[in-house]
Amino acid sequence: MIMKLNTYYMLLILVVTLVSCKDDVVEEPTPVSDYLKITLQPVHGANNLSLDDTITTVEGYKVQYTDLKCYFSSVKNGGNTLTQAGLFDYKENGTFLLQDVGKKADYSSLTAYLGVDPAVNHDDPSAFSNNSPLNIANANDMHWDWNPGYIFIKVEAKVDTIVDGVDNLNHFVIFHVGTDAFIQNMSFSSLNWQTVSELLSVLPLKLDMAKFLQNGAQTIDLKTEHTSHSAAGQETLSLKVIQNFKDAISTY
Amino acid sequence: MKYLFFLFVGVVIFLSCKKDNTGYTPEPYVLEIPSHFPDMNIPADNPMTVEGVYLGRKLFYEKQLSGNNTMSCGACHSPASSFSDPNQFSTGIDGIQGTRNSMALINLGWQNFFFWDGRAKTLEEQILGPVPNPIEMHQSWPDAVGKLNASQEYKNLFYKAFGTTEIDSTLVSKAIAQFLRTMISGSSKYDVMYKYINGMSLSAEDQATLATVTNDEWAGYDLFKSLNGADCFHCHNGALMQVNKFSNNGLDLTFSDIGRGAITGLASDNGKFKVPTLRNIALSGPYMHDGRFSTLDQVIEHYSTGINQSSTIDPLIEYAFQGGVQLDSQEKNQLKQFLLTLTDYKFINNPDFQDPN
Repeated sequence: MIMKLNTYYMLLILVVTLVSCKDDVVEEPTPVSDYLKITLQPVHGANNLSLDDTITTVEGYKVQYTDLKCYFSSVKNGGNTLTQAGLFDYKENGTFLLQDVGKKADYSSLTAYLGVDPAVNHDDPSAFSNNSPLNIANANDMHWDWNPGYIFIKVEAKVDTIVDGVDNLNHFVIFHVGTDAFIQNMSFSSLNWQTVSELLSVLPLKLDMAKFLQNGAQTIDLKTEHTSHSAAGQETLSLKVIQNFKDAISTY
Repeated sequence: MKYLFFLFVGVVIFLSCKKDNTGYTPEPYVLEIPSHFPDMNIPADNPMTVEGVYLGRKLFYEKQLSGNNTMSCGACHSPASSFSDPNQFSTGIDGIQGTRNSMALINLGWQNFFFWDGRAKTLEEQILGPVPNPIEMHQSWPDAVGKLNASQEYKNLFYKAFGTTEIDSTLVSKAIAQFLRTMISGSSKYDVMYKYINGMSLSAEDQATLATVTNDEWAGYDLFKSLNGADCFHCHNGALMQVNKFSNNGLDLTFSDIGRGAITGLASDNGKFKVPTLRNIALSGPYMHDGRFSTLDQVIEHYSTGINQSSTIDPLIEYAFQGGVQLDSQEKNQLKQFLLTLTDYKFINNPDFQDPN
């Protein structure tokens, strides 16, 4: 009888011991952050613009955009910095421009560079963190190693400038504007952040490519003004291109 | 009796609280990334380990992955050819040839898509393709895995790498992907030129290499980067000597192989193919997706005078309207001299990349 009791006793201790040695499961509180996201929707006048859409300019030219990209950097409101940089790549990432931690109450207005802040524009592009848009693996073809620094805006298109009713898009447009001299300051005020979820708010911006070509008196005639790599001799067109690109960006 | 009882309880407590000793203790693999390269993104579900890399290397050269046990991955990606195939088209185990040239395996850890048409988005996904492909290794994954599962050696290796003896295609692809991510080329003469131009620090060995760069090599580099020279840099740029994109580089007016267009279904992508790295270009011929050019001279001639301006041609080929960049013979030679600086013999001769079997 005593042996039997001891056996039960040992079994009980064994079970209790095994259970008591199990790792404790600690419920960690999920970290909660507010995120702010900015999107950039290319449009042509009142209509959304997709790459490879064929649009008609005021001169009657047919235009098919094949690539639209740009950098925003030093995105902040006074002393509050939302993010170091955002990369818009319409072909690969759609309308996404940037997303970072922030509360919309802190960003009723924004300032930013169109382009990459001169303070970091010439840094080693391999040295940025993997998730930075400035890391060379993310910048991809938006960085020049021949003229070290980033391409600020990229507009590529195929155009037919002969208005004869026959579409023949065999005329290339290439605007690659960079270098510190062409950096642009932007500001946006009275921002209307749209609440998408409890933690995410979005600021939709638009890029009007009609205004890019017809910016008041500062027009771009794609027949004669079709190439800039920001090289020597291309300063006038480079400046016009990036100024028009900046003026084409607005809130809704 | 009482003594025995407490001894028993003590043993039980000791055993129950002791961590499992399974023998599965993989050692993290530390990648040797050149100083002028960005960090590599490693998938969270496939961390690099010494055991995983070794297993992947062994599998890369494992002929049992093919239907008749005659062909490994290395058959079409041989070290001497910078891990590509010197033939225009590779021949599978049934004697059937494909229609595209085997791509060189270099710096794959920085790629965003794989195959000439980019149909695989990860290295792990890409690796799953050639084994069951009927014109390549032509063996179903269940059959391939069955052979590996019959091998005690492989069971041991998979256990060491992944903590399981149940081998499947996912683990095979993960192991090979780990191995391929170690295949980093950053020790060519070009790397020294790149670091020098960008003001990066040079080692004593780099300095010695820099002293050997010839005037023609520098002139070729200038042409390579010049908008009004060879204009190569738009697609072949930076430390990795490529950009991740698809491009129609003016090979044809009409397309017998529509390339990227077959994947996206977009007519605007017809005739576009992945832009390859130019690293080890002297070793990785023949060139283009269909291996149509057997020499670098032919490639240079194509960009100089042979561009065909089709509907989807890359607008960055700015001189397409005149057939190309129109280099003279001296410029062609200088450009070729520069392209030869991209050869990395340390890479192809690295003993860690050779067949361990």
